[in-house]
Amino acid sequence: MKATGNKPVDPTTLELLHALRAAARAAGDWKVAFDGLLALIRDDFIYDNVALYTLDAPTRALEVRHARAVGRGRGLGADVSWGEGIAGKVIASKGTIVEEPGAGPYRDRLAAPHLIGLPVSVAGRLEGALVFVRFGGPVYSQVHRLLAEWIADTLGSLLESRALRDARSQLESARRQMRLQEDFVSSISHELRTPLGFIKGYTSSLLREDTTWDKATEKEFLSIIEDESDRLTRLIDNMLESTRFKGKTAKFKFQPLQIDGIVRDVTARVRAHRPELEVHLDFGHVPPILGDSLRLSQVFENLFGNALKYAPTSPLTIRMRHDQKKLRISFEDRGQGIPEEYLPFVFERFYRVPADTSSTGTGLGLYICQQIVKAHHGKIWVESMLDKGTTFLIELPVHAAS
Amino acid sequence: MAKRILVVDDEPRYLRLLEANLKTEGYEVFKAADGVQALDIFSAQPFDLLLLDILMPRLDGFAVLQRIRAFSNVPIMILTAKGEEQDRVKGLDLGADDYLVKPFSATELLARVRAVLRRSQVPVGQAQARFFSHENLRIDFARAEVWRGDQAVSLSATEYRLLLQFAHNMGKILTSEDLLTEVWGPEYKSDREILWVSLARLRQKLEEDSHSPRHIVTRSGLGYFMPPVET
Repeated sequence: MKATGNKPVDPTTLELLHALRAAARAAGDWKVAFDGLLALIRDDFIYDNVALYTLDAPTRALEVRHARAVGRGRGLGADVSWGEGIAGKVIASKGTIVEEPGAGPYRDRLAAPHLIGLPVSVAGRLEGALVFVRFGGPVYSQVHRLLAEWIADTLGSLLESRALRDARSQLESARRQMRLQEDFVSSISHELRTPLGFIKGYTSSLLREDTTWDKATEKEFLSIIEDESDRLTRLIDNMLESTRFKGKTAKFKFQPLQIDGIVRDVTARVRAHRPELEVHLDFGHVPPILGDSLRLSQVFENLFGNALKYAPTSPLTIRMRHDQKKLRISFEDRGQGIPEEYLPFVFERFYRVPADTSSTGTGLGLYICQQIVKAHHGKIWVESMLDKGTTFLIELPVHAAS
Repeated sequence: MAKRILVVDDEPRYLRLLEANLKTEGYEVFKAADGVQALDIFSAQPFDLLLLDILMPRLDGFAVLQRIRAFSNVPIMILTAKGEEQDRVKGLDLGADDYLVKPFSATELLARVRAVLRRSQVPVGQAQARFFSHENLRIDFARAEVWRGDQAVSLSATEYRLLLQFAHNMGKILTSEDLLTEVWGPEYKSDREILWVSLARLRQKLEEDSHSPRHIVTRSGLGYFMPPVET
């Protein structure tokens, strides 16, 4: 048995180990990490070119995945065919292969390649071969061979961790999508249940045989029932609508129109239901745009709906500014705001801000708004500060004919 | 005397529906639009019954139920659109007396209200102790807040539950097993270290001198208890 214990590791070795580990863990592309590793061993392991061949998934044919030329024969860097033969042999034998040129004479060093080929395994499966070439001597020593094997091994780990990372992010996005769908189903059933609950509750109240209601109460109940039936219809329309946008079958009727008029109309309609609502309209005459007036009304109805839901007591300000090309509309409330971490997602289909426990909403409203604005070649985005308020901004192109 | 009912729902139309129907039966109806308001109204006056929605802003119905059950046995009926089995089980486990899923008919609601009130043992007008005090220690059950003198103490959920065990059993010795079972669950019954660590942290937060504790005292070999205070 060989005695190996208790020999102190010399500091330069430790330093190198440390540097190698850091290089191997370097964030980002595996190629960067791999090149970093190679740079560190350049002094101890001389080579001119290196190439990684991998087995193409369906055909099991060898493909060059990565190649670096560093020394002599740089001019041949593009010609990686020097490695093909040995790579094939490595794959076949599943082991390290060293090919030294026979004794000369050679017309130049480039005619005498010293090759070393190493198997690269990812998660225990042979995935390719790493080939180093050195034009001219010296012959590969045992230490060189070990170093090269270590590099090939580490490369395998780098590829493996990259594959794992890719797989994980794919899984995460699939799971996210699934969760959104599930949440949607449960929130849609809650959404449908709410108006249904009122219809059932008020109808069964009117049908009670053990009591009588006065005329005014009866009328009040009936109008609630009617109103909630409308809400149910709207909900179903919204769901259909979102499916149409998703399937890109939504139809638009574009014509030149005055968006200030649309905003005034929607505001008046909202005010009819909520006379106490404070709305400031900050715009004069604006240039016409090309748009679908029904769809655009829908956008503002949605924004009003959100504001009434999440900032019920806040005053609202709607501003419009324009230049030759663009019209910008801002819709501002002074409510509780949306936490920053949720902002990037609010326009996603089915997405709902988690902190919102009151749970009325389907996660469709802003998605629909965004789809409508996009169809108008515009954009919509949101700015929000906690406890200060939320502003939705819409930019639409001005109708060129004006 | 008319029974007093507090209805809690964030939808004004549910409040109206419940109020209108309950009034026809001669109940006195009070309304709260969210969990925080419900706790404030509830702890200020006695009620015979609470009708509680689950999905509400600020504080949801489960949390309200949990806090109220820390100091009161008032009958509570959950009225919610959340109808899945796990939700019903959770509600009943937290101490709800009945669970009715929306949509419901007015007639069924009233029948259940009558049934719950018939079963209930709470004497009308019984004052609920929202506050608990032990020397300079004070607990506000409704807000789940703890004070040491005039200083607010911030406890983790587990520490708070642990403290409630002592407050609800003042003068009684609680064994490690009792505490572990009640606070952490039966599967933690013999996990004493976790209790020791939590107790030490709790004492550090509550006691003037954690080496000679006055609120949570160790009876070696038996367990722990909160010594009764003379009033």
